[in-house]
Amino acid sequence: MNRFNRRDFLKVSAGASLLVPMAACAQTAPRAGGKKRVVVVGGGFGGATAAKYLKIGAPDYDVTLVERDKVFTSCPLSNEVISGEYPLSKLQVGYDGLIKRGINVVFDDATAVDPAKKTVRLKSGTTLNYDALVLSPGIDFNFAGIEGHSEAAANNELPHAYKAGPQTLLLHKQLAAMKDGGTFIITVPPGPFRCPPGPYERASQVAYYFKHKGMNKSKVLILDSNDSFSKIGLFQQAWKLQYPGMIEWVPGASGGKVVKVDAKTRTAYTDFDKFQGDVVNVIPPHHAGHIAKNTGLTNERGWCTVNMLTMESTVHPDIWVVGDSCVHGDLPVYGAPKSAHMANTQAKVAVGAIIAKLSGLPAPEPYFVNTCYSVTQPGYGFSVVHIYRVVDGKLVYATDAGGVSPVEAPAITRKLEAEYQVGWFKNIMADAFS
Amino acid sequence: MNKRVILALATAGLLSAPAFASGDKTAALAATCNNCHGTNGVSVGPSMPSIGGLPEAYLRTVMMQWKSGERYSATMSRLIKGYSDQQIADLAKYFAAKPWVPQPQPVDAKILAQGKAASERCTTCHGDTGSQPDDPAETPQIHGQWAKYMELEMMKYRDNAVAMPHRRMRGNTQRLKEEDVAAVAQYYAAQQK
Ligand SMILES: Cc1cc2nc3c(=O)[nH]c(=O)nc-3n(C[C@H](O)[C@H](O)[C@H](O)COP(=O)(O)OP(=O)(O)OC[C@H]3O[C@@H](n4cnc5c(N)ncnc54)[C@H](O)[C@@H]3O)c2cc1C
Ligand code: HEC
Ligand code: HEC
Repeated sequence: MNRFNRRDFLKVSAGASLLVPMAACAQTAPRAGGKKRVVVVGGGFGGATAAKYLKIGAPDYDVTLVERDKVFTSCPLSNEVISGEYPLSKLQVGYDGLIKRGINVVFDDATAVDPAKKTVRLKSGTTLNYDALVLSPGIDFNFAGIEGHSEAAANNELPHAYKAGPQTLLLHKQLAAMKDGGTFIITVPPGPFRCPPGPYERASQVAYYFKHKGMNKSKVLILDSNDSFSKIGLFQQAWKLQYPGMIEWVPGASGGKVVKVDAKTRTAYTDFDKFQGDVVNVIPPHHAGHIAKNTGLTNERGWCTVNMLTMESTVHPDIWVVGDSCVHGDLPVYGAPKSAHMANTQAKVAVGAIIAKLSGLPAPEPYFVNTCYSVTQPGYGFSVVHIYRVVDGKLVYATDAGGVSPVEAPAITRKLEAEYQVGWFKNIMADAFS
Repeated sequence: MNKRVILALATAGLLSAPAFASGDKTAALAATCNNCHGTNGVSVGPSMPSIGGLPEAYLRTVMMQWKSGERYSATMSRLIKGYSDQQIADLAKYFAAKPWVPQPQPVDAKILAQGKAASERCTTCHGDTGSQPDDPAETPQIHGQWAKYMELEMMKYRDNAVAMPHRRMRGNTQRLKEEDVAAVAQYYAAQQK
C-alpha cells in the first residue's frame, strides 16, 4: 500500500471527491457487507454525468451504466448537421472515458425494473441488483398522437430528427434535395417537449441553408401546437434581419396544431387546413423513455414526477429520474426545460442525494442551473439562462437573475454567444463522458 | 493529481460514501460551472476560459463586477446574478485552489514570431510568457489559456460599445494592429510555463 500523509489526504480528497465535503469523511464508518451498487440506465447527458460524478463522489461504489448504443450522438448542435454546417461525427462520443474511470458500462437494453426487489432486467437476460437506481432514458415518441403517423413513416418520409442519428442525416439529405421555391415544414408538438428552442433554431438553420445556397424563394413553415416559444423575441428579431419573409410561424391559436399526416403525399393536416411540403419534419408528441413509463413512474401526461430537491421519484423510493424523462417543473413561475445542460445539473444533484441517502444522511442543498445557446446563422447566437433556488424548502425560479440575452444588444454580443455555443458543447460533452 | 494516493484512499475506504449533507457546499455549487468551464475549471472548449487556478482576487473581482453591472459579459452577467456575494467568494476560493492546466496549443512558427513581437507592449504587466503577472490580484495568468477565448476577450477590450472596466488593458489592446490580435493571443496560448 502506498504511503500518504495528512496533507496528501486533504489535497487528494479535495480534488478527487469533487462533490464530497471533507467534514463528512471523518464520519464515514466502515461498512459491513459488500459495496453499494448504483445502476444508471441511459448513457446520455443525464446518465453519463450521473455515472461519472458518482464515481468521483464515491469511488468505492459499484457503478454500472446500462446503455443500448456503443456510440452516443448529441442532439445539441444537430440542427447544424441538418443545415450541413457541422459533421455528425463531431457530435459522437464513445464510453471509453467512463470505462477508464472504473464504471461498468454494459451495452444492453434495460427491459424492466422491479422497484420492490430492486432489480433491473436486461434484454440479454442478465439481472442487476441495485441499492440506488438512476433513470435517464430521455424521451420516446407517441406516434399514435398524430393520426396516420408511425415509426416507419418517421424513418422514411417524415423524419423527426429529434433523437440525433440516422434521421438527422436523412433530414439533411431531404433538405439538400429540395429545389428553390419549395417548402420545409416543421411541426411542433404540445409542450413540454425536449429542447424548447430546438424547432425554432432548426427553422433558422434551414433558412440559412436556403439563403447561402441562393434558394431565396424557398420557405420554412412552422406549424406549432403552442402559442409562444422560447426566446421568441430574439428569434423573431433574427428572422426579420436575416431571413425576411422566409420563415412563417403558425401558432396553435391560429390553427397551427397538426393532428394528422399523410406520409405518401407529405401533407400535414390541422383541424382547419392542410399543408403540403417538400420536406415535412414532424416532431411527434413525446413522453418519458419507455423504461420509466413501464416502471409506472409517469404521471397522466407521461412524465416522471420527482422530489424537486433530490430528483428521487415520488412514486418509488430509491429510483432517481433525471433529464428529459422527469417533470421538474410544477413550479409556479417556470419549469425546468428539457435540455442537456439541465440533465447534467440534475444528475449532479441526484448524485449528491444518492450518496447522502446511502450514507444515512439528509440530502444536501441542490443547485440547478440551465443555459441554452441558439445559433440562427454562423456568428449569430443568443441564450437563455435559468437559475433555481431553494426558498423555505421549495424550489423557486430566480426572477432576479438569468433570463434571455437582451434584444437590444451591441453587435458583439451575438457573435460572442455563437462562439460560446461550441465551447459550451465541447465542455459539457467532456464533463459528461470523459 | 496523484492517482496512486486516490487508489490507496479508496481501497482503505477513506473516501467511501461520505455525504454531501454537511461541510463543503461549494463543491456542489462549483459543479454547476463545469458544464461550461470544464471539470475542475479546466476547459476543453476553445471559446470558454479555463478558470481553475486563476488568482482568487481576480476571480472574485470579475464576478462581482458582472453582478454590479460594471463589467460586460454576453452570458456570465445574467448567470452570476443568481449567486450571493458569499457564494461568489466561496467559488473564487474554490477555483483558485485548483491547479492551472495550460492547454497545449501548437502554433505555426511565423505566427508565433509575429505574436511575440506584438507582445512587447504586454510584458510589463503579463511577463514574457504570460505566467508572471506583475500584480496577480489584478492580472490573471494567460499562458496556456485558450487562444480563441483570449482573442474574443481582446475584441471586447477593443470595442467601446461594451463596458470593460480596466482602462489600461483597453488602451493596450486598442493600440494593437488588427492583424496582431489573433497572433498575440496564440503566442500566449502556446506558452506552457
Ligand atoms: C435538435 C435538438 C437540439 C438540442 N440542442 C440543445 C442545446 O443546444 N442545449 C441543450 O442543453 N440541450 C439541447 N437539446 C436537448 C438535449 O438533447 C436533451 O435535453 C438531453 O439529451 C437530455 O438528456 P437525457 O439524459 O435525458 O436523454 P438522452 O441524452 O437522450 O439520453 C438517453 C439515453 O438513454 C438510452 N436509453 C434509453 N432507454 C434505454 C434502455 N431501456 N436501455 C438502455 N439504454 C436506454 C438512449 O440510447 C440514450 O443514449 C437538443 C435537443 C434536440 C432534439
Ligand atoms: C453557460 C455557460 C457558463 C456557465 C454555466 C458558467 N460560465 Fe463562466 N464564463 C462563460 C463564458 C462564455 C465566459 C467568457 C467570458 C465572458 O462571458 O465574459 C466565462 C467567463 C468566466 C470567468 C472569467 C474568466 C477570465 O479568465 O476572466 C469567470 C471567473 C467565470 N466565468 C466563472 C464562472 C463560475 C464561477 C461559474 C459557476 C457559478 C460559471 N462561470 C459558469 C460561460 C459560463
Ligand atoms: C497595464 C498592464 C497591462 C498591459 C500592458 C496589458 N495587460 Fe492584459 N490585462 C491586464 C489586466 C489588469 C487584466 C485584467 C483586466 C480586467 O479585469 O478586465 C488583463 C487581462 C488580459 C486578458 C484577459 C485574460 C482573461 O483571463 O480574461 C488578455 C487576453 C490580455 N490581458 C492580453 C494582453 C495583451 C495581449 C496585451 C498586450 C497587447 C496586454 N494584455 C497588455 C493588464 C495589462
